[in-house]
Amino acid sequence: MKAIRAFISLLLAVWLVAGLAQAQLPAPDEPTYRIAKQLNCPTCAGRNLADCPTETCAQWKAEIKAQLDAGKSAEEVLIYFQDRFGPTVLQEPPKSGVTAPLWAAPVGAAVIFLAIAGLVMWRTAQRNTRTPAPVAANHSDPFVAALEREVRAGE
Amino acid sequence: MKGKPLLIATVSVGVVLLAGIFFVALNLVMQQGARPTPGSPAPDFTLKLYPGYRAGLPEEIRLSDLRGSVVVINFWASWCVECHKEAQALEGIYRAYKDRGVVVLGVDYLDTEAPALAYLKQYDVTYPNGIDLQQRIAKAYRITGVPETFFIDRDGVVREVVIAPLTEAQLRTMIEALIED
Repeated sequence: MKAIRAFISLLLAVWLVAGLAQAQLPAPDEPTYRIAKQLNCPTCAGRNLADCPTETCAQWKAEIKAQLDAGKSAEEVLIYFQDRFGPTVLQEPPKSGVTAPLWAAPVGAAVIFLAIAGLVMWRTAQRNTRTPAPVAANHSDPFVAALEREVRAGE
Repeated sequence: MKGKPLLIATVSVGVVLLAGIFFVALNLVMQQGARPTPGSPAPDFTLKLYPGYRAGLPEEIRLSDLRGSVVVINFWASWCVECHKEAQALEGIYRAYKDRGVVVLGVDYLDTEAPALAYLKQYDVTYPNGIDLQQRIAKAYRITGVPETFFIDRDGVVREVVIAPLTEAQLRTMIEALIED
């Protein structure tokens, strides 16, 4: 019985802590949240700033709010973060610089694939136009019909 | 014979994709370089100092300008719990050794300005401190986190790297050894 009570208390405590952590996050309709959604947590790999409850992210969100309150636009705030912490802070970093080959490689691969596929199709089409079409038997021609009769008779 | 163009296309696509990945990897390796270890030259950098935390130095300083001094480069952040533990020790050794050719250089990592300045004020820091813009210094030194401290000798060579908060006694031991060299 004691164990069950302890387990329920633990569940309640976890629920309460989770609730408090959630309460610290800005509401989804806030402009801060919308900007934070476009940034990465600096310390947790791959985690969104808006949904991260760490101290670092709390500071960054406070900075976003302070800049918005000071009259800066969302774009200006994002530029501030990019200038201060680098382009990797953005959820969608600019498609240039070091990562440019990663964006260019699939496009290059697709162009090469399409070029080779096009060449193969063109060569197949060329081959088909050079091959003479089979001549259909013309039974309406009396000469051909007589010839066929003679051939059959000879067999 | 029919499978040959398909094979060529597949190989070409694979080669292009691998080339893209190779160039990205090469760029990243060239940008980062090797992690400085004891005995290797300290990578040079420019640090933009916070107003009020320049200790008589210009707004932007280069590490190479400090050649001839023992330099203690400390990477820190206001959100880093462990950094708070060594803040007073760093300030203590700076005050004790600044007149003996020792410079403590605080490099603020992934921090916003207001909490960073509040941190410096909280610990009454006077040694030069600045922001690591775009994490360039952290990348050059390939730090694994904060706090991390590099001890540079008068010739600009890394003599010790510590990935943990330091006590004043530990700092004194390391600095004394570098001063005596």
